[in-house]
Amino acid sequence: MMSTPPLSGVRVADFSWIIAGPTATRHLALMGAEVIKVGSARRPDPSTRGSAFQVYNQSKKYAAMNLSQRRGKELALDLVGLCDVVVENYAAGVFERLGLGYDTLSQVKPDMIMIASSGTGHSGPDRDYVAYGSLLQHYTGWNSISGYPDQEPIKGGLWADPWVGMELAMITLAALNHRAETGTGQYVDFSMAEALSASLPEALLEYQMTGEEPQPIGNRDRFAAPNGVYRCRGEDSWIAIEVYHEGDWQALCSAIERTDLLEDPGLSTPDGRRIRENELDAAISEWTAQLDEWDAFERLQKAGVPCGPSLDMGGLHTERQLNSGGYLTSVEYPDGSERVLPTLPWRMDGQRTQDVRPAPVLGQDSDYVYRELLGLGADEIEELTEGQVIY
Amino acid sequence: MSNGLLGGIRVLDLGEGVSAPYAARTLAGLGADVIKVEPPGGDYARLSGPFPDGSPHPEKSALYLAMNAGKRGATLDLDADSDQGRLLELVADAHIVIDNHELGWLDERGVGYESLTKVQSDVILTQITPFGDWGPYAGYEAGDLSLFHLSANAHGMLGPVADPDSEPPIRAGGHQADQVAGVAAVTATLAALFRLRTTGQGCHLVVSSFEAMATQAIAGLANIAFGGDSPTRQAAEIKEASIGGQVAAIGGVLPCNDGYVAISPREDAQWSRWLDLMGNPEWSDDPKFNTRTARQQNSLELWELLAAWTSQRSRFDIARDGQERRIPCFPVNTVSDLLTDPHLKERRFFVSIDHPVAGEFQYPGVAYRLSETPLTLGSRPAPTLGQHNDELSFDRLRTNV
Repeated sequence: MMSTPPLSGVRVADFSWIIAGPTATRHLALMGAEVIKVGSARRPDPSTRGSAFQVYNQSKKYAAMNLSQRRGKELALDLVGLCDVVVENYAAGVFERLGLGYDTLSQVKPDMIMIASSGTGHSGPDRDYVAYGSLLQHYTGWNSISGYPDQEPIKGGLWADPWVGMELAMITLAALNHRAETGTGQYVDFSMAEALSASLPEALLEYQMTGEEPQPIGNRDRFAAPNGVYRCRGEDSWIAIEVYHEGDWQALCSAIERTDLLEDPGLSTPDGRRIRENELDAAISEWTAQLDEWDAFERLQKAGVPCGPSLDMGGLHTERQLNSGGYLTSVEYPDGSERVLPTLPWRMDGQRTQDVRPAPVLGQDSDYVYRELLGLGADEIEELTEGQVIY
Repeated sequence: MSNGLLGGIRVLDLGEGVSAPYAARTLAGLGADVIKVEPPGGDYARLSGPFPDGSPHPEKSALYLAMNAGKRGATLDLDADSDQGRLLELVADAHIVIDNHELGWLDERGVGYESLTKVQSDVILTQITPFGDWGPYAGYEAGDLSLFHLSANAHGMLGPVADPDSEPPIRAGGHQADQVAGVAAVTATLAALFRLRTTGQGCHLVVSSFEAMATQAIAGLANIAFGGDSPTRQAAEIKEASIGGQVAAIGGVLPCNDGYVAISPREDAQWSRWLDLMGNPEWSDDPKFNTRTARQQNSLELWELLAAWTSQRSRFDIARDGQERRIPCFPVNTVSDLLTDPHLKERRFFVSIDHPVAGEFQYPGVAYRLSETPLTLGSRPAPTLGQHNDELSFDRLRTNV
């Protein structure tokens, strides 16, 4: 028996684009909300260029609406009047200048929840800063603690947008719960930079506690040892192995057939093992180098050692846990093709209570929005299409 | 009475380490009444640092303090029958229970989902697991490091390297994988709570941390699903020259006289404003650089030209002048830069929390400001071990809140 997706009956007007905002509304759509993406050929969503659009916009509807025209703005207000949630992620101030600020929208729909996400948030001296997620990782120091030990921090890495996407979905759900309890809507001013900064709490406290700038530690742990990524047999083949508890240590020594290490009193505490971590790395590598990463994985897991191969994207897409467990699932497109795409990372009462449909194309649901939801007649819809309002 | 978005919601946090405590800390920040239940010896995060002056102390672990601010704390020995009963008394007045112990841990102690529903029929139990309780890896173990690597996030983190056979992929700093699992758990829990309000149905929710981390990689997964290849880690095989792991035409990190600046003038209009900032150098119109595609093809040469200019200047000046021209660019900061950032200061991002043993520090707040229900993030430090055992002595519990 398939139970109802949790957000059935919730309708979202999605004015967001590129990555972070669409990722948030993707999660809401998979949870069963009716997400109506609004966009225009006049300024297409830049992410339309790539295949990632197909996951950022899974399970959504997509209506064409040209907000640069006065009539387009009026239609946007009419649509907002029928929605529970509005999401936008333009640079701060842009949505307001379009005449679609919270003050206006909340007059149309007083209990509406508006999620406004921008790089640096909607207040403060740098609120107008133009941002991409990758740049904010540098601004917030997020990259500064990532890298090999004793080397410069990493310069790349794309992390911010998907992290922000889940946080945005989370705060939307919190506001929806509050509205269900109190009937009150909300304006949510969201800062991507702050979402990244908030993910480094121990580093921020470390600086205050020690006066020293936190440094990259690569694959090490600052407390537990050994923690590392070890070479396996085969090209660019590696396995991550982590010892946290004493049971892990015993299991590791037994799996790699080095129970002699358990006799060494110097290695009986995390501190002792951390001091001699290079020596332990050598012992572990000697064992892993003989095995392919999946063989090592199964042997270590059978012994009870936390571990996992370091996969590339192709390896992740064919990984058997994700494919057999229903997280990666085949999605059928209108042209009959099928693509294996990700869904949501949990089960409720043993089930995937999710609504999985392919991403839409621009304008695919214009008829639904203008005729069914807004009740416009065929003549008017034609006129709006010719006038490039529905565009 | 109502406090934040989740006023009136009570949460029991049975977790240790990062993922479940981070989830419960997030709920506390949103106004829920969170009670942390620790074993008599304390959450193992208390043993992990960083510590003031590097000296371990169970009440001074930065990791523990950060993950558990905003909660009350009690100790229960769930290996003992009497304390299992006390836990069930707490559950009778709770809406949400969060845990991240290994599969079977709660059941073995008589406090599994079935037992919880006997004292609270519509309870939401959220279990954060490495792989879920399904599939070939149900019951397998993986922590932050393994999850970061398994989910292909480590392969992309470093960018191309000279010798992939000797330079392993790395995870990001901090506890990102555990926190991703934590936020996914909060999202799922709040969806279950929303459903509870409409259907009266509680829920046994199982979060897969591996799947949560794969969700960080959905763009890469889509690329493969639509016929793309895995990006190589071998720098020599990268066709376009890259600036610090990013393709130069998209953006990169450039040296300055006081550090680095990160820029991304990727669209044509942004690029033209960037040239304006540089004073429209002679090479601006060179066909090697005058389209996005050309810049991509000649990015190594372009990088030299840009670096020669930026290295004469300050990262702060470039970022400020660039942003005045609406060019996406930011200074590359360290953690300490953040604590004095005027923008974050004006937004009151950091909150001061005074802990009775560890002392007062600035903690990062949250990414959201709410128009109708301001949050009270700084009101309560992480609990000392067993701090609220008396207050939560169980016959007084109901009248206390």
